[in-house]
Amino acid sequence: MPSSEPLPPKEAALFRKLLKCYEMKQYKNGLKLAKQILSNPKFTEHGETLAMKGLTLNGLGRRDEAYKYVRLGLRNDLRSHVCWHVYGLLQRSDKKYDEAIKCYRNALKWEKDNLQILKDLSLLQIQMRDLEGYKETRHHLFALRPSQHASWIGFAMSYHLLGDHEMANNILETFSQSQTSIEPHDYRHSELLLYQNQILIESSHLQQALVHLLKYEPLIVDKLAVRETLGDLYIKLNLHEMGVPIFESLIRRNPENVLYYEQYMVARRVSSSSDIVSVYREFQAEYPQALCPRRLPLNIANGDEFRVVADEYLRRGLRKGVPPLFVNVRTLHQEADKAVVIESLTLQYFENLTRSGHFSREDADAGVPVEPASALVWTALFLAQHYDYMRDTDRALEYINAAIDHTPTLIELLITKGRIFKHAGDPVEAYVCLEEAQSMDTADRYINSKCAKYMLRADMVIEAEEVCAKFTREGVSPMDNLNEMQCMWFQTECAMAFQRTGRWGDALKKCHEVDRHFAEIIEDQFDFHTYCMRKMTLRAYVGLLRLEDVLRRHPFYFKAAKCAIELYIHLYDKPLKSETTIEEIDIENLPPSELKKLRSKQRKAKKKAELESAQAAQAQVKREQHQKSKQQANQESDPDAPQLDELIPEKLERTDEPLEKAIEFLKPLQQLAKENSATHLLAFEVYNRKNKLLLMLQSIQRARALNPAHPVLHSCIIRFMKALASAQKQQPFNVHVQKVLDKATKELIGTKTPQQLNDEFIAKHHASSILHLYEGARGLYELDPSKKDAAIKLITGFNLSKLRLEEAIKIYTALRDGDVFGDCEKEAEEYKLKCQQRFQYARIFRNIEELEAQLQEKEAAKLRAEEEQQQLNHLDSHETSAPSAPVSVMAAS
Amino acid sequence: MTETEPEVEVNGTEAEDDAQDQDIKQKKQTRHDGGAADLERVTDYAEEKEISAANISSAVEQFGNQRSKENELRVAKEKELQKVQVKKEDIELIMNELLVSKTQAEKVLREQSGDVVAALEAIISN
Repeated sequence: MPSSEPLPPKEAALFRKLLKCYEMKQYKNGLKLAKQILSNPKFTEHGETLAMKGLTLNGLGRRDEAYKYVRLGLRNDLRSHVCWHVYGLLQRSDKKYDEAIKCYRNALKWEKDNLQILKDLSLLQIQMRDLEGYKETRHHLFALRPSQHASWIGFAMSYHLLGDHEMANNILETFSQSQTSIEPHDYRHSELLLYQNQILIESSHLQQALVHLLKYEPLIVDKLAVRETLGDLYIKLNLHEMGVPIFESLIRRNPENVLYYEQYMVARRVSSSSDIVSVYREFQAEYPQALCPRRLPLNIANGDEFRVVADEYLRRGLRKGVPPLFVNVRTLHQEADKAVVIESLTLQYFENLTRSGHFSREDADAGVPVEPASALVWTALFLAQHYDYMRDTDRALEYINAAIDHTPTLIELLITKGRIFKHAGDPVEAYVCLEEAQSMDTADRYINSKCAKYMLRADMVIEAEEVCAKFTREGVSPMDNLNEMQCMWFQTECAMAFQRTGRWGDALKKCHEVDRHFAEIIEDQFDFHTYCMRKMTLRAYVGLLRLEDVLRRHPFYFKAAKCAIELYIHLYDKPLKSETTIEEIDIENLPPSELKKLRSKQRKAKKKAELESAQAAQAQVKREQHQKSKQQANQESDPDAPQLDELIPEKLERTDEPLEKAIEFLKPLQQLAKENSATHLLAFEVYNRKNKLLLMLQSIQRARALNPAHPVLHSCIIRFMKALASAQKQQPFNVHVQKVLDKATKELIGTKTPQQLNDEFIAKHHASSILHLYEGARGLYELDPSKKDAAIKLITGFNLSKLRLEEAIKIYTALRDGDVFGDCEKEAEEYKLKCQQRFQYARIFRNIEELEAQLQEKEAAKLRAEEEQQQLNHLDSHETSAPSAPVSVMAAS
Repeated sequence: MTETEPEVEVNGTEAEDDAQDQDIKQKKQTRHDGGAADLERVTDYAEEKEISAANISSAVEQFGNQRSKENELRVAKEKELQKVQVKKEDIELIMNELLVSKTQAEKVLREQSGDVVAALEAIISN
């Protein structure tokens, strides 16, 4: 349907130009054209022109005016598809996708076969993953314009995404047969062929895929993809010998790709470990520079053979001084016997290097030239890292100190020393090391970031920010810049530091910022819907869509979400007092003089608070005005448009519905991180507090399916039983719910009582696992608070020498904070003393006064040293004053 | 006439300014973030390519038929589900106990032929 106010030819031509200008992003010219039309007195109110003027203004970033003109235009011409389309585009650019879809649908009401509108609609549908709707729209486009490339591609893709590979393949096959003249080196056609091949492989039509690939090989320009796919297909189709030369050529092309070697072994059907190792030896000879053929045999070899290959690998690394040598072999430590071999080898190196400068006595006897002096340092570093991995702090420190004495300027040594302290539970000593390392090379971003991270671990947020400032943009607060750069590790560590120091609101702010990064990454895919289709990079495009679908599976999200959920649970358990009730101190029993002091203090505090609250109120008013003007600009019709609120810590920590907020973070985890027990255990904590028994049950069942022996699971079951009993007492369940609960509990624990279950659990794990025992003791107390002493004895009596540091910290904090077993200060203090002996470096078990005294002592020593140095310098400059004078003159001039 | 003259002048200088602006911008871009400039190009407009071959009408028809068959299947399946009798209070029970949306509660309940216990169990064990 044409517009209700058609323009005469001259203006119509101008309007077409205006559209063109918008498409070509020539916004300023567009505005001039719009002005020309609108300056004609007959068309000052022309709806479509006004709308286009608005859209053009939006392109220039003038959002408020844009909304004004687009709305005005639409009001003047409600039956115009252009106006509706424009309004949709504007909403889309504002990320209001649902609203935009409504607008497009209105536009299509007036012109149902408009290509551009259908295309735009399909973009939103794929962005929102309305795959059925996408297929519908894509079919519509296809039926309208079968002569266009994009129609076919989009149509096929809509089927592929819904899992209908056969139809997708049919469409692509028909399409490529209709293509008659294909130029050589046509990249797009080549990508299309590979995409079709991918569809065939995904639908397990491997034979067909092989035939297809071989047939079109000459037309495909991505030769590497052809080789890789071909090799893979040969193996999967049991044509191993055909695969061998392919993987040989791939390794020749890139001898550092681990996968090629693995597939080569499969293709050659070598399976015994010694055969594989000898094949790797051949590759070592052929590619002497390559690392893969040297490192990979270490994964495969066993026993004496492992000793031989490890010996070669380690000597080479230590001789050359490869800094990450330990990191390269760290995964091998998961196998205890390999760790033993590595330890004995490096100990032998250390001994012999100290004695004769050789790696072994045999070398010395044979008169081999001595190793470089640095080999000893690298060996000591390696040993320190090894013992640190084994959590043998004393020996680790012994070796690292020896290395530092030898070469005090090697940054890696200080980093390792810091890491040893970190693992031993002393984040402060750790950051001191890192700070020193950082000062040795201030231009190195890696050590800078590491230093910041260690500072955050020591709860020093401000200092960490200052360190980061050396690498963030100047003139902007480093915190804001790091947020803008989506520097998530920093923000998550910040959140956890705030969590430890009880700054709940600040911690939540950081978690929400991380969440917003993920939302933004999902937004960012929008432009690629058109771009990838046009460039025909369809394999990459499908990969992108699949990645975005599971984006929040990323460990960064998990960490931040877990932190946020814990914070919200804490705020639910211990809601913050409203600010007015905090300062109510017992004043009755104070002597008059004290009272006077207190009063004046209070007066001052009150004055300050008033001032602050006045300022805050002012700021608040400003913010609200700002928001209002924003919202007014937005639109009257949809008040619930997604506005990105400013994150204010004070508001975040005083939310009225902490559990609902927690669930918002939980949902993506339940969907995307279901293979992690922690997800379901967190879910249990939330639903337990919401008293949703069926959901508690759901969390238990899911966690149990993953790992029935998880210690926390036991406590969840006990608490579930307890909640079940108390809920039943209050009010009988709905019959259906009762039925479900009965059946599930029977499956879960049979006919045992919770007490029985708990006693059995304790008996089973009595001496074997402290974490299980802890949960058992928790159950004991939970079910019968009079057994508090017995419960505490149970865990404090566990053999401390079997404990790991993290476990001891968990037990101690539970006792100290009194959340789990009620108040038990005395026992906590006793336990702390015992732990102090067992974990002498761990800061948490030491006395704070003692630590502070130590710190002051150190500071004082540092000052003294500096003074002495200055005096020395002073003396020096006196002695050498004559020759230094011309230098200073030079410098001054 | 007198009114339009200055207009033109303004336009002229503006265009020059534009060109200069662009120049400066481009220089800046090349210096700082070539990557960002590439990203900018992602949203550029491009003409659609047309296929030359004419022998595609039968394919269009064939795919159209396929499509309508699919639609029939889907409609039939939906009709089947709609036939199931569900009680409003059952839906509400599911929503309240398991904190799911109304559409999801209703869908599962229909799929379980209106059996509320089965629906609850289906969601829990999903």
